[in-house]
Amino acid sequence: MDKKYGVYICTGCGIGDSLDIKALCDVPEEEGLPVKTHSFLCGKEGVELIKKDIGDGTNALVLAACSRRVNFDTFRFDGCVTDRVSLREGVVWSHPRSDFPALTEEEKEEGEKFDRVQMMAEDYLRMGMTRVEKISLPEPYKMEAFSRKILVIGGGITGISAATDAAKAGYDVTIVEKEGHIGGYAAKVRKQLPLEHPYEELLPPAIHAKIDELEKYSNITVKTNTVVARIAGEPGDFTVTLKKPDEKIEFDVPFPLPEEMKLDEDGKELDVEKQHELYLEYNKGRADILSLDPNGEKFGAVILAAGWRPYKPEENEFDHLGFGSLPDVVTNCQFEEMAAKGKVTTSDGKEAKSVVFIQSPGKGDDDSDFSYAGSVTSLVSLKQAKYVREDYSDGKAFIFYQHMRTPGLSENFYKSIQQDAGIFLTKGNVVSVSKNGDGMVVEADDTLLGKKIKVKADMVVLATGMVPATVDDPVVNLAYRQGPAFRDIGLFDGYCDSNFICFPYETQRTGIYAAGGIRRSMTMEESIEDATGAALKAIQCVECSNRGVAVHPRSGDMTFPDFFFQRCTQCKRCTEECPFGALDDDEKGTPKPNPSRCRRCGTCMGACPERIIGFADYNIDSIGSMVKSVGVPSEDDYDEPPFRILGLVCENDALPALDVAGLNRLSYSADVRLIPVRCLGSVNVIWIKDALSQGMDGVFLLGCKYGDDYQCHFVKGSEIADIRMKKIGDALASLALEEERVTQFQIGIDEYDKIPEIINGFVEEVEGLGPNPFKGF
Amino acid sequence: MADKYFIEPDVEFIEKLQGLGGDTLKKCFQCATCSVVCPISPDTKPFPRKEMIAASWGLKDRLVGNADIWLCHNCGDCSTMCPRGAKPGDVLGAVRSYAIEEYATPKSLGKMVNDPKMLPVLLLIPAVLFLILGGIIDAAFGVNWLNFSPAGEEISHSKFFNTWLVDLIFVPTSFWVVAIFGLGLSRFMKDIHENALIDGKTDKEKIEAKGFLTALWRILPTILKHKKFSECGENENRATSHMMVFYSFIGLFIVTNCFFFSLYVLQKHGPYPQLCAVKWLANISGIALVIGACLMIKERLSKTDEVSAYKDWYLLIIVLGVGLTGMLTEMTRLGGVAGLSYAMYFVHLVFVFNLFVFLPFSKLAHLVYRTVAMAYAEYVGRK
Repeated sequence: MDKKYGVYICTGCGIGDSLDIKALCDVPEEEGLPVKTHSFLCGKEGVELIKKDIGDGTNALVLAACSRRVNFDTFRFDGCVTDRVSLREGVVWSHPRSDFPALTEEEKEEGEKFDRVQMMAEDYLRMGMTRVEKISLPEPYKMEAFSRKILVIGGGITGISAATDAAKAGYDVTIVEKEGHIGGYAAKVRKQLPLEHPYEELLPPAIHAKIDELEKYSNITVKTNTVVARIAGEPGDFTVTLKKPDEKIEFDVPFPLPEEMKLDEDGKELDVEKQHELYLEYNKGRADILSLDPNGEKFGAVILAAGWRPYKPEENEFDHLGFGSLPDVVTNCQFEEMAAKGKVTTSDGKEAKSVVFIQSPGKGDDDSDFSYAGSVTSLVSLKQAKYVREDYSDGKAFIFYQHMRTPGLSENFYKSIQQDAGIFLTKGNVVSVSKNGDGMVVEADDTLLGKKIKVKADMVVLATGMVPATVDDPVVNLAYRQGPAFRDIGLFDGYCDSNFICFPYETQRTGIYAAGGIRRSMTMEESIEDATGAALKAIQCVECSNRGVAVHPRSGDMTFPDFFFQRCTQCKRCTEECPFGALDDDEKGTPKPNPSRCRRCGTCMGACPERIIGFADYNIDSIGSMVKSVGVPSEDDYDEPPFRILGLVCENDALPALDVAGLNRLSYSADVRLIPVRCLGSVNVIWIKDALSQGMDGVFLLGCKYGDDYQCHFVKGSEIADIRMKKIGDALASLALEEERVTQFQIGIDEYDKIPEIINGFVEEVEGLGPNPFKGF
Repeated sequence: MADKYFIEPDVEFIEKLQGLGGDTLKKCFQCATCSVVCPISPDTKPFPRKEMIAASWGLKDRLVGNADIWLCHNCGDCSTMCPRGAKPGDVLGAVRSYAIEEYATPKSLGKMVNDPKMLPVLLLIPAVLFLILGGIIDAAFGVNWLNFSPAGEEISHSKFFNTWLVDLIFVPTSFWVVAIFGLGLSRFMKDIHENALIDGKTDKEKIEAKGFLTALWRILPTILKHKKFSECGENENRATSHMMVFYSFIGLFIVTNCFFFSLYVLQKHGPYPQLCAVKWLANISGIALVIGACLMIKERLSKTDEVSAYKDWYLLIIVLGVGLTGMLTEMTRLGGVAGLSYAMYFVHLVFVFNLFVFLPFSKLAHLVYRTVAMAYAEYVGRK
């Protein structure tokens, strides 16, 4: 693309009052770039000014005004490469003249003093100009083959609902169900929780109506007694091999070598060839992940609704509650099974007229519920308490809870159950269940009725939880180099989700969307709603993949990682570090990109030691050149030159926090130069080396929290960056630079008030180390 | 059940409370807002949070024999502030009326007092009793104590309904009332003490008579000044009407005793002159009784968010009836309307009978139970 440049400086919102605009205009003019100023660039007149130039052929724009996070529609010009230089939030608002006074005319003439804020603005403008020079217009990645069909794994209430929703929207859907019939657990209950206003009465199972509705859609295919052997390919073009349960076939997915098999007898790691040999042996009879099943069915996206299984208590796990030793102590699922058959009776056939429901196992100070429980287990106890009252007019149901979770309108159901004269609720710590004559006695401490109470019971029901299918089995059986299962879902107790607060339905595998009990323990009502969410996500994925743009979280991003394979050393770092398993490598280790699996975080770009991975508008050169365009004054320029510190900030949470800090006029050092990055995972250490070798005094990374409760939008980016920053210490030592010059900070989107402390603290620390000895070379 | 920790909910008890005006009791979700906002609840083991869960679990023993239900003056602050509409004030009211029924014997009479369908029977009992007793005495002894054609210019009610007959009925029944209260109280005191021991509200093993009586003496000013009532936030103005009725009853009690003394000791027969000081007291008390009762009725009618059960209306109508018929009897006598005056006197006696004889069974029994409970709380140092 032939670029015709145009630089536009807005002087509104206090920019013109604070900065020497004429001096700022000199920056592009020195480079021979045309520059225009306007006092209200985002206004109609200002935009017209830009549009007129675009009409005259300008296609590379540097808009020096407000943060790119605001007015993005106003300053969106299709067909142009654009950079938004944040003079307002990044310079003027965050560096008020009250804290950073401008130079007087005399001082300007003397030339010994300098205006830090003006320097900052000029640097940012120069960096913007550099970026526009280095990037190009992205072109979407177009797939050769493409399918719009949606695969639903699991034929329970979630799967049926999701399939119906997707079919209604006009998509072809296939449901695979491992059992002989669809309906799942929803078909096995006596009654279910209310689904609509007033949310008070129990309903007959809704699944039958759901199945009837499903059968009306000719674009839904149901395959029972079927499981997924493997899913290969990428969203928009998945090749799926189906099989009968327990069948062994060639296209069963190969499993990665278990860690212990990678070691020799002495516990040393085997070499690559030996490992590969063992891997082939381990997966004998199974085709490699890269060989596609010629008979495989094509799908565009997958909805994972494989559901859950009842929690199986370990032997002796609930001894104190008599589970296992007393025949009338059962789990909620066992109780439901009995209730579905008719009136509930005890093991010796007596009427179960006094039933105690226990919500929490009660282990001393630990008040947590049974594992894999949730609001659903509270609600099920309320529901089953009602069964007792339905079966026996003089029946009594007791619920001992530590937490009674009835979110949203299910509170109405709680209230209606509460009204039943024969249902008794109390918070309490159940200490024991023991035999007492014909029946049992439940003893609880710290109840609302007193320090200790005892209640007679014919039957005791434990509110055990719902274990997601992904705990036992990969289910999706992905033919991905990173393995057939979801990675690191142990953080979520095996629930398959990437971050269920920020990104519901999205798993760590693009194109596979989870709904229902596999995501968290939930009621049928919630599952039905969840199914709609996942169906919409799957549709979004199909349509985005078709247009060659990213699905999420960078929805609509047309760029994708481009590999310069001639220089690839097959080190596999990109394949291994990709948080989404987007890359499969071949036998030699050459990565095979699957662009529609990719979320465009750039972690591969950050990982690559050969620096051969980049995006059209974000690559090693574009950022590296921006770093190099920062002016680093030395003693040749001033007696006491200012420090220069580079900050690479994550655009997801850190950049918004910085903008809000600016909005609140929280000021921080004017000696830092910030460059937004897609994710800290995309930070390549070469940028840091570039910065230090040109004399900058320190570099910091500012990004999302990592660890167990990580907030990284790309799951692992900030964690990987942290590992890389720790390793960079050796490289710095070899340059005789202190390790402390490079560091990483974690920040949440709401922690804008911590910005000054973090930045100024680091600046002070670097100042303590003294200037970079490379300065001026 | 030997084990004191055992709990056996009584569903019938719950349903009974619901029928007595506590229909909201199952709405409680134990947030304890009620105990926090209650202006008169003690700081340790405060009511009514614990009473609310005991009610929704049907734990009769914990409620009926619990002194705390009587410490409540039904201010209504708890009901107003309750986020769930469980109306603890009304629930405690229902528990109290259950407790009154529980401690008064015979229970069948208690049931009648709380049953609107039995109201005509309750009113007929004294009417029939008067007529039969009058008839029997006339037939057996030839004494015409119930004279349906009183002679003479001057209207004197004893000519129609002889004072001897009145006292023949009311003196023994007043002993009966005291006896019933005595029986009820002995059980009541035993129960509240047992409950207090279980709840850890007291460490005293037994109730000592002397200590208890001094406690009773100490709380008298609180009762007389209606101190607890005026601490109420929500129903503060109720203190005024209650005080009017309360003092008019005291006034009328004094008047009755004075005239009793005057009749039997001084042999001075009524009607007494209007200038007599006792008569003044009688008139003022009578008027205060009527006004107080009217105010109470007005308050109940205007308080739509608070439940007024039959037990409340029964007592109010009887109190108003006593006052109104009393005043009307006097006024018609002074106005010289003989027939009407005599008839009114008869109705007055029917109301008085209802008020006194059914006292241990009606809501009015609170004057005994609340006093005892307050004295007990004072005695055990409940704060």
